[in-house]
Amino acid sequence: MTGRKLLMSFPVTPTSHLLSEVRARGGYETLKKVLTSMTPEQVTKEVTAAGILGHGGAAFPVGRKWSVVHLNDGQPHYLCANADEGEPGTFKDRWILENAPHQLVESMLIAAYALQVRNAFVYIRGEFDLPYRRLQGAVDEAYAAGLLGEKILGTDFSLDLVVYRGAGSYVCGEASALITSIEGKKGYPRNRPPRLTVRGLYQRPTVINNVETLSNVEIIVRLGAEEFRKVGIAKSPGTQLVSISGHVEKPGVYEVEYGYPLAKFIYEDCGGVLGGKGLKCIIPGGISTKVLTAADIATVTYDHKAMEAVGSQVGSGGMVVIAEGTCMVRLLQVMLRFYHHESCGQCTPCREGMGWLHRTIDRIVAGKGRPEEIDTLVRISEANDGTTICGMGDAAGYATVGIIAKYRDEFEYYIANGRSKNGGRLEVDAIEREVAHA
Amino acid sequence: MPDFFINGQPVSAAKGQTVMQAAEANGFFIPTFCWHPHLSVSGNCRICVVEVEGEGGGGSWMEIACNMPVTEGMRVLTDSEAVRARRRETLQFILLNHPVDCGICDKAGECTLQDHHYELNGLPSVSTIPKVHATKYFDLSSRIVLDNERCIVCSRCVRFTREISKSNALGIQNRGDSSLVRPVENSNFEADPYSDNVIDICPVGALLSKQFLHKARVWYLKATPSVCPGCSRGCTVDLWHRKAEWKLNALDPRENTAIARVTPRENPAVNGPWICNKGRDLAQIFERPRAQQALLKGQPAPLADAIAAARRLIGEARRPAALVSNWGSNEELAAFKAAFGDRFECVVKSDWHAMPGERLEDELLIRADKNPNTRMAQQLFGDEPRLVPVDADLVLVWGEGASFANLPRGAKIVLLGSYLAPENGHAEVFIPVSIQTERAGHYTNFAGVVSRFEPIVRKKDGVAHAEQLFAQLAATAEAIA
Repeated sequence: MTGRKLLMSFPVTPTSHLLSEVRARGGYETLKKVLTSMTPEQVTKEVTAAGILGHGGAAFPVGRKWSVVHLNDGQPHYLCANADEGEPGTFKDRWILENAPHQLVESMLIAAYALQVRNAFVYIRGEFDLPYRRLQGAVDEAYAAGLLGEKILGTDFSLDLVVYRGAGSYVCGEASALITSIEGKKGYPRNRPPRLTVRGLYQRPTVINNVETLSNVEIIVRLGAEEFRKVGIAKSPGTQLVSISGHVEKPGVYEVEYGYPLAKFIYEDCGGVLGGKGLKCIIPGGISTKVLTAADIATVTYDHKAMEAVGSQVGSGGMVVIAEGTCMVRLLQVMLRFYHHESCGQCTPCREGMGWLHRTIDRIVAGKGRPEEIDTLVRISEANDGTTICGMGDAAGYATVGIIAKYRDEFEYYIANGRSKNGGRLEVDAIEREVAHA
Repeated sequence: MPDFFINGQPVSAAKGQTVMQAAEANGFFIPTFCWHPHLSVSGNCRICVVEVEGEGGGGSWMEIACNMPVTEGMRVLTDSEAVRARRRETLQFILLNHPVDCGICDKAGECTLQDHHYELNGLPSVSTIPKVHATKYFDLSSRIVLDNERCIVCSRCVRFTREISKSNALGIQNRGDSSLVRPVENSNFEADPYSDNVIDICPVGALLSKQFLHKARVWYLKATPSVCPGCSRGCTVDLWHRKAEWKLNALDPRENTAIARVTPRENPAVNGPWICNKGRDLAQIFERPRAQQALLKGQPAPLADAIAAARRLIGEARRPAALVSNWGSNEELAAFKAAFGDRFECVVKSDWHAMPGERLEDELLIRADKNPNTRMAQQLFGDEPRLVPVDADLVLVWGEGASFANLPRGAKIVLLGSYLAPENGHAEVFIPVSIQTERAGHYTNFAGVVSRFEPIVRKKDGVAHAEQLFAQLAATAEAIA
């Protein structure tokens, strides 16, 4: 077990996502409580007091984001759920969308009430098929049951929820690109200032939260901030859905309480590394976070502060386990190919830098690398740090710098010998064959 | 009270100004590619980074000046070592896939990228990777060619068509370093009457004029201030022509004196930084076949003889009338008024009318009146529409656009014109006069703003300056009267 459960608190069955079963479990009772007995300010106060951090990757305090929106300022506000889960290795929101879509809908209703929102959006990535059908099904059920639309539950509160499907761009998971995409434009991120909570969707104050973050809102209001804070640790209250994949025996989505020992999670709960191999490193929270070696994670607990202390982040909870014998040069090549393909091309450092990184690593993998090109990779990454419109340039840089810092010898070996120190493999069974062949 | 500090110096800024605007207004240099004072902030080139110092020595961070609102007491460094290092890195990126083919690029010499590279980086590329190739010659319209390799995707042209010309004709296709400026589906860049402005605002040589393509290196050219006579807006323009010291005998003599290109001369009172495509094509107006020979009843005659004949006709006339050109400068119109205003029935004529297919009028610049100085002409000679009196026995026609068939039958016609035309030979006397590019003067635009134009070539000997000619023609006329 990975600590207490908040979201994965019910047995998943083929019908457990339907409104009838959700209501039997007590769903939408919290919404009734909020609409009949709480003011919007009280809801925001509760969420702020709960101290929940964003689960999308940046870990920004939710209460602080919400408090920027001024109630009664005479303009419409918007709420968006970011379901454009594009970070490689991350598939935790998918679990919520498939198995607990009403949790999201109810939480968005409560959040919309707190922020005086009349129109809310869920921006869901285009590749999600079952999650889209489940979510749209839940929204349709909610409309039919009078939980969305005009005068919800007989109160004066009304909300329309639109599920908007993206077209498969990674950068549209960035909040400002997401709203640009909803507006029907090309998914380019916007410059800050102004912040989106000041001028966002259609130039109005807009709150954009990750699906998992929003889904916690109902739980916070149901339990109360004080009770919620008892889960997790003081600086990181609550739980994190972790999607673990890669060279691991039992991949999948796990709900991990903050403060849970990371090594225990990987070795015991997830069954350790595939095929009994040694652990080389993990990517802890989506490929944009820096890698952690087996030694790094030996004693660390899974929460924001402890992960930062060892030089990485909780990130989006997309954990990738990498076994001994994996070629880090090839791994970085795969990652940089992704960043090159997904760079939107708006601002200079990322537009040119991602292609440069990708072509450079391609040359190294092809055996044509030069020793100074390792420093070029680092230089490009550093020149992307903090210079781009959105965080994507930084993210690619962190990933590159993180891997080179810890596995520079593999890059030097590859360049000197024109081949991988580790047989150039990424798949464990292939690594095994390689070893057997040797 | 200073609002904030740039490089330690107190600078005051207006409310809502960005660091870039305040720096520009106070003479601090911040390099830019994508930022343009008349377009929205895009913030994509990242060359304008400045260092913002935290209060109380609490560290510093980088911000782009173009999108950073000034806040009270803010401390900004535009030229610190950290800023210079960052700009060098950014230029490495910008030049990564730029072909650096300045040697064959028309923009060389006035290229923002060239200037910034020499000023801020100057180092060779650290890249060992072959450059990405893209379309080298893409036809955007019959006027503009796009070189995607040179393009740095600053999006100025895209924003121009969205925000200024409103044709929404350009967009950016693809992602990442495959991004290409392309015409938007179902749009018509060809029909955008302001399309050529994108050539001027392009910070590199990606958008080039087909008219000017490979015609001249810009440093061989000189810009002479002039005024576009294309409509009553009277946009101030620069006429670019070969510098005297770079005149080559080997060239066709016409190329040594021709208008090489026309660009807007920024003028907030009239046209801002823009002009329309008609203004770019002034050569088509000014370089029509010139009339350089005086005619008496269609027969060539010396200029002095023609002037004498005209003077005699004017002196003998009992009921003289005049058709006044609204292409005359303020000075010429005043001279005309002084010479003939009392004795002649003066009617203001429109020399030029809209061509088929030409945009008649819009909200940006183009005016329905296709003549430059109607305002001053009407001020001096009246603005009510009038006809030449039917009993006139002499009509002095100045400029183009008069149909002789509409003039009183039997009236003798003295024609002052500049271009070859059939009616030149039908006049009693034809005297060739100089055109705008051969003399200096002023036009008054529809709103009363007076702008000056300068000559770019000397007039031919057989051609008269109208301003002096009027006095010559009238001298005896007055004496007889």
